[in-house]
Order: sequence, then structure tokens, then C-alpha cells
Amino acid sequence: MADTHKQWLEKLEAESRAKQELFMNDIAAKLRHPRMTQPPQHPYRGAPDFWKAFEWPEEERIKEFTDNFLSVGGHVARLQTMDEAKEYIVQKAQEMSAKYVVRQNQPELDALDLEEALTDSQVSVWNTDPEQYWRARAAEADFGIVIADHAVAYTGSVTVLSAENKGRSVSLLPTVLIIIIPVERLKTRLGEVLETFDQAGRDQLPAGIHFISGPSRSSDIENDLTIGVHGPGIVYALLVG
Amino acid sequence: MGAGSKTEATVKARAELALNDEFLRKAVRFTTERLRNGKKKASEEHGNWDEWRERGKQIRLHTIAHLDYYLNLFVNNARANGVHVHFANTGEEAVKLTLDIAEHANAKSVVKSKSMVTEELHLNHALESIGVEAVETDLGEYIIQLAGEMPSHIVIPAIHKNRYQIAELLSKEAGYTLPPDTTALAGFVRKKLREKFLEADIGMTGCNFAIAETGSMVLFENEGNARMVSTVPKTQITLMGMERIIPSWEDLEVMATLLPRSATGQKLTMYMSGITGPRRSEDADGPDEMHIIIVDNGRSLQLGDPEFQELLNCIRCGACLNACPVYRHIGGHAYGSTYSGPIGAVLTPSLNKNIAEWDDIANASSLCGACYEACPVKIPLHDMLVYLRRRKVESGNGNKLESIGMQGFATVMGNSSRLGGMLRLGKLGQKLVVRSGVIKTKLGPLKGWNTYRVTPSLPKESFRDRWDTLDQELKQGLKQMEPSMQQRMEELVKKRELEQKEGKGGHGHG
Amino acid sequence: MKVSLFITCLSDALYPRVGEAMVRLLAKYGVSLQFPTVQTCCGQPAFNSGYWKEARESAKTILDAFEDSDFVISPSGSCTGMIHHYPKLFEDDPVMLERANRLQSKSYEFTQFLVQVLGVTDVGAAFPHKVTYHPSCHGSRILGVKDEPLALIQNVKGLELVPLPFAEDCCGFGGTFAVKMADISGAMVTEKVDHVLETEAEVLVGLDMACLLNIAGNLRYRNEPVRVMHLAELLYEGVK
Repeated sequence: MADTHKQWLEKLEAESRAKQELFMNDIAAKLRHPRMTQPPQHPYRGAPDFWKAFEWPEEERIKEFTDNFLSVGGHVARLQTMDEAKEYIVQKAQEMSAKYVVRQNQPELDALDLEEALTDSQVSVWNTDPEQYWRARAAEADFGIVIADHAVAYTGSVTVLSAENKGRSVSLLPTVLIIIIPVERLKTRLGEVLETFDQAGRDQLPAGIHFISGPSRSSDIENDLTIGVHGPGIVYALLVG
Repeated sequence: MGAGSKTEATVKARAELALNDEFLRKAVRFTTERLRNGKKKASEEHGNWDEWRERGKQIRLHTIAHLDYYLNLFVNNARANGVHVHFANTGEEAVKLTLDIAEHANAKSVVKSKSMVTEELHLNHALESIGVEAVETDLGEYIIQLAGEMPSHIVIPAIHKNRYQIAELLSKEAGYTLPPDTTALAGFVRKKLREKFLEADIGMTGCNFAIAETGSMVLFENEGNARMVSTVPKTQITLMGMERIIPSWEDLEVMATLLPRSATGQKLTMYMSGITGPRRSEDADGPDEMHIIIVDNGRSLQLGDPEFQELLNCIRCGACLNACPVYRHIGGHAYGSTYSGPIGAVLTPSLNKNIAEWDDIANASSLCGACYEACPVKIPLHDMLVYLRRRKVESGNGNKLESIGMQGFATVMGNSSRLGGMLRLGKLGQKLVVRSGVIKTKLGPLKGWNTYRVTPSLPKESFRDRWDTLDQELKQGLKQMEPSMQQRMEELVKKRELEQKEGKGGHGHG
Repeated sequence: MKVSLFITCLSDALYPRVGEAMVRLLAKYGVSLQFPTVQTCCGQPAFNSGYWKEARESAKTILDAFEDSDFVISPSGSCTGMIHHYPKLFEDDPVMLERANRLQSKSYEFTQFLVQVLGVTDVGAAFPHKVTYHPSCHGSRILGVKDEPLALIQNVKGLELVPLPFAEDCCGFGGTFAVKMADISGAMVTEKVDHVLETEAEVLVGLDMACLLNIAGNLRYRNEPVRVMHLAELLYEGVK
């Protein structure tokens, strides 16, 4: 190939920009209006009003989250402190003889000092060595440990956002996933979390926003439920605080 | 077996094969029943379902009505996020773009998560034609790919296969015998596809929703394979129908409320991912390069067509398939196209603007309206089927015999004395075939009907024959209506007249 | 007050007893029905098959018949539902469209009229039998008639109502569908009758003679003795 990859991409972009105009003009013509360049009035944005006003008190949120997460085959523990979370993780790692553990590179997790506590496991901290192929480290891990950025009681979901220190693979490739949820991040409705992304705006969004509502599953064979198809088959949600 | 074949030319012939496949019918019935009960339970538990449906419909209507604005906004934002956006007017263009990207990535293999658009484009075959291995990674899609078939359900692609058939397919792939046990089979697939994810050069996805205001794309899934293909390989290609747009993340709450509940009865799928551009330079995973191909392929033909524009509101939940009594008896392959069930019966001819197909697929419905009732965005599919039939007739593609029959219908029904004459003639004619009050002959036009039923004979007197006698009898001694009833009727008439004056006439009162 | 009977061609030709039961029952409330004889068929068979020109011919007889009626009542949710399609059928003809809108706003299915207009939910009938009920698709989905028939059935003395499994599933009639796609339609009606037999009911009651013709046809084909009745017949028999 004569062109470099970059030149080829530039060529594609020029073609795309030219086509974009034709494409949009064609849509406008078919809709029988002039090309719209100003935002239209959107009277039905988001959930119905009665729903936006809906909020559970904290204890109810914890109960509903727990019920939902358990109902899809996840595990939940209600803990008071991060020390208890550490104890819980260490115990599970021993129980299941976890050999490889990968965790996000966050101060709250540094403070747990799992590297010291998990004597029988090799603990890797995400993206601390630029020479590593981190996806492979996550793929070989028995345990992945993350801290939730948000959680939603109504759907029993946890949200994790990607960043330099927070790999998408950590919540995806290991066999067992442990998610620490500081209870003050647990909201009632999905919309409470989603609207933060609208408020943040395009250039503040991370590449990956992932809502996780339990272990990976499929019902594709005879509608028979199987847990742990591609993602983690065992998921612990630790509600702390 | 037979139901997977597309060799039969008509829906009717393919349906016949399916109807004679006892296993297929049982499997489809069992699963659709489970799914629709799940949906019923989930929507009732959530509450105010009709309000949510209405909201979903309004958001979709609004977006499509201003699609030039929102799609353009999405494209500009996605580009600002570092995505390479492309446009394909036709399926061929989309395939060409995909192959071009695959070649420039020096790709040997592509891992795919579930995408109906790529099914529509027959992309796997195209990739294989240039020596690129394309691997479906959704469990059901993987099974169908090994079997060399098309999905027979939008959400549960292998709905027509049992565990024994699946064990046989997977054993061939494994090179050793796998037991017909779901956990063992899924376990094999997990291991096998793990390798594929890690070695693939390209990850390919569809797109459930694209958020205009931030240029993000959203994927709903349960297995984690869509996350895999959008996290592990170096290059990501997303194929999205041009109508997948919603304005904002806030609007996503409504779609996330409607889609999983309608599809499988879940409150939310196990994973819902919003992807905003390729990996940031400091990130250690996610694709280096991300392409989004926006596909028209017949979609824009619905724009500005008042009878079919709402078709673009579809969120591909499959609820209409699960509710459809025809689908439950014949399964997806009988429809003979990528999209099956009620949505397929309307979408296929509409995307193709193919008059020949209108005849066939649009007739495979009793117009019972269960699809409309099940639809989370209230698409009137049962009405659209009638509009398709009408367009076929009015474009001169009607069935000759049926046209003559319908002209006869109009002649008889256009005038009540001709109808009376026909009834008298019928009473004479039926003497030849009536036995103990019913007609059982399987000759002539009654063949199809009488294969499953008997036909009642015409009574001695029709209602119109009897009316005068009946009327006279009842008029004598008719009692006075209760004043409260009388009053209510008068009020209703007054209200109606008032509404008509204000131009609000024609509304139902149910 | 002019209250008119829209008999529907099926009840006119095949089931005059249904029309009669309905007329006699309404007479008990002092409703004197008129029967304009120029009416023929609502046009649904042609409309659903795509022959709208032919459907209009037939629909015009209905518009003519009920031009000056205040209320139009029929023993079929499906045929009343067809009247709800008239505005679409005549959308390109402003004069006819106006007439179509007017007709739609005054058309009622039998139980809709009884419950919503007359305010009657108990006709004082007794019917000591085990009964199951098939809600027809068009009545329940186009007109939204769901609670009215149930209220009327539940208030019949001695009647034991057994729920029909998968009641809301179409019986497979669908007009010309039963002929064009005979095998699919046959599979649907066979399943419907399987469900009816599961209930062990003596009587199947419904609101639409087209669906009942279909279900009864399959019952008789299988030599099953379940009696099939329109709700108007059942109620009238119960008060006689």
C-alpha cells in the first residue's frame, strides 16, 4: 500500500465529510423541511415527571439494591468500614485460592494494602507499568477488584467509568469480580446517574461507561439460564458505609 | 431441520414445513411464552406501563422527525471524540467500507457481538471472501453460525434449536464429544471464544442507541461479549442503522426502562455500556481506533411516509415476535428474511420496497393487533400490514382471482337488495352440500377452511327476513326508558356535537 | 333519540338469533332499535386485503344507513372496529371523512353500549353453567372493550366463569387469512380449542361471531359438545 495509515484515514474523513452533507440533506428533503441547524424543542426529554420525583430513603435503597442483585445471582455484603471490606476480600481469596488478582489503581484500594494481605496471591495494580500488556493481566486474573463510581437501587446496577487508573478489563476479564460500593454513591433511579453524563458534557466523558447488574449470563440454549458466559460468573457487591 | 431452509419460495410453503416440525413448534412456543410472561410481569411490576410506552414513542417520534439535526449532531460529536464516522447509503457500501477497514488493519480475524444490521448485510460472508475469519460471540449467534443458518428471533437467535442439536454442533467444533448439558456447552464456548477475543484484530458491534449530544454509542447485553469486542481488540467497527439516535443520556433512561423489560422481562440487562470514542491515550485498554458506519439501506425510504415513518421508532426488542400467535406456530425462518415476526413482515418489504415480497409476507398475519399491544413504542404494525397489502393491490400487483372476488364483493355489498338476493341464492345452493346442519366438503373454496373445521349452513331466515315480525312484536308493550338512562344518552349526544363543532370529532370513546 | 342496529353481515346471514337476542335484551331497558335495511357489510374483508376501493363501496352503505342515527350498536367488536378505520379509508375525501368521523363517534359494540351508555352491569340473568370467555382481538385491542363483558358475565347468577388459558391469543380467524394461510390459521384455532377444552367449560362465550364461527367450526369438526354462544344470547337466555 502506497499510502500511510494516516493518509488513508484522512482520505476517508474527507469522503465522510462530503457524504455527511448529502446524507443530511437527503434526510431533510424526505422529511420535507429545510435542513435543521438549530436544536428543536424537545418537550418529552427523559422520564415522565412523576418518575423524576421518585426517591427512596437510604435504607430502602440498600434493601432494593440487595434484593435485585441477589435475584440475578449476584452476591451482596453489607459492611461498615473499608477494613471490613478488606477482611471480606482476603477471606474470599483464600476460600477460592485466588492466584492472580488485578485491581484498579485508586487511593481507596491502595489503602487496603491487599498486596501485603493476600500472601498467596499475586496482586497487579492496573496500568502501573507501561510495558505490561494489561489486557492479558486482567484475562489471567482470578479476581478483579474495582470501586463503583455510582450504583442504582431500582435496577440493582453498579456503574464503573474508565480512566488511566481504571481499566475496563478489570471488571470484565477476571473470573470473579468484587465491586466496592460506598453507600453514599447508591442512588434510587437510573436517571440520577445518567443525567450526570449530560451535565458533564461530551468532552468530560470517559471512553467506557459500564453499568453492571450481576454476573454474565445467557439463556440462548433452550432458554435455560447459564451464568458466566463471557464476563465474570461470580460477582460480589460490597456495600460499605 | 426443514425450517432452516430458505429453498421454499413462499411464506406459506415454509410455514407448512415449520408446522410439521413438532420440535421446532414446541421450542418456539415454550420460549416465546416465557419471554412474554416475563415481560408482562416486569411491566406490571414497574407500573404505569402505558405512560412509559407513550413517553418512549414520543421520544422516538421527536428524534426521527428531526433526524437531520440529531444525526448530524451525533456525527460531529463522535468525530470530536476521535471516532472515524462513515456513511453507507446501501448495504454494498457498508460492506465495502468494512472490508476496506479490515484490509488496512491487516486483520486476520474479527470478533462480533450481536448485530442485526450485520445480518442484514451478510457481512460474515463478505469478510470470509477476503480471507478474514468472522466469529460471532453471542452464544446463540455462535450456534447459528456453526449451523450455517440465520437467526430465527431478534433476541434469541437459536430459539429453534435444542440442546442435543447444539451439543452435536459444538462437539464437531471441539473435536470431542460434549454432553447435552447447558452449563457444559456454555463452558466450552467461554473457553473457545476467550482465545478468539484475545487474538482478534477487530471487534465488531451493532448499536442499540446512539446519543446525539455526546456522540456516545450504547450497547445492551447479558453475556459480556459486546464489552469484550469493544475492549480487547485494537480496532472497533460499529455498524449502526441511521435511525438508532436518541438526543440525550436522560432519554436513555426511558429506553433502558422499555427495552430490557420488553425483550426478556429484565429490569436491566447485565451490562449496559456507553462508549464515547476510542481509548484515551493514557488508557491501557479499549480500541486504539474506532469506526462507526452509519447505514441507510432502505431506512430513509420510510422518512416522510406518514404510514411507515413510525417503523423507524423500533428498538428491536422482539416483544412483537413473542406476542404473535403466527410467529409462535411457524418460527422465524418461515419469514425468509433477516427480520422475522410482525416487525419483519413490515420491515422487510419496506426496506426493500420490493412489491413481490409484499404479497407473501404481509399476508402471514391475522391482524389481531397483539404486536401493537406488545410494542414498547406503540408502532401500529397491524395497520402497516394492511397498508402494505393495499399498496400491492393499488400498484396492480394484486392476485387476479382475488381481485375478481373483491369486485364481486363490492357489487354485492354495495347494495342491500343484491345482498338479499345472494343470501336467497346461497340457501338454494347449499342444499347440495349441507349434511345434518353443517357443511363438511373439502372441495373448492372451502378446502382450507374445512380441513380444520366444519361450516355452518345458512338458517331458514336471515335477520333482515325476520326483522318486520320482530319489530312489530317488540314495539307493542315497549317499556319506558329509565330517566337516568335517557338523560345520559342525551348528554352524550350533546357532548359529541360540541366536540364536533370544536373539530375534535372522530375520537373513540372506549 | 334514534338508536340503530348495525347487524353485521355475518349475524344477518348466519346468526340471526344473535341479533334477535340483542334486540330483545335492549328492549327490556326501553331501547327501541331501528334497523335501516340499506346496510350491508362494513367492508372489512376488502379493507384488510388491501382492496380499499371495493371496501369504500361497502362502507358507503353503512354510512348511508346510519346517517341520522344517534347511537349505532353492533354485536361485533371487529365490525365496530372497522368503523374506526373509516376516517383512514376516506382520508382523501373531506365530505366522506366528516361523515366517517361522525359515525365513528356514535358507534358502540353491544357490551360497550350496555355498560358505558346505559350503565347496566347486571341484567338480572341466571345461567347455572360452567362458562369460559374468549375476548376477541379487535374488540379488546381496537375498541379497548375489556372490563365491560367481564362485569356482565360475573354478575350472572349461578354462572361459574373459568378463565381461558392464553385467552388474549387470536383464534386464527383473521378473515381471508383463514383461507389464504389455511394451515397457520388451522394451527391457531386448534390450539385455541385445546385451551377451551382444558377449562372443561360447558359453554364458550364471546362477543364476535366471526371468531365464534371459527372456534365452533373446529369444536364440531372434533365432535366436541361445547356450546358456543354470543354474550347477548347468553344474557337473554338467562333473563327469559
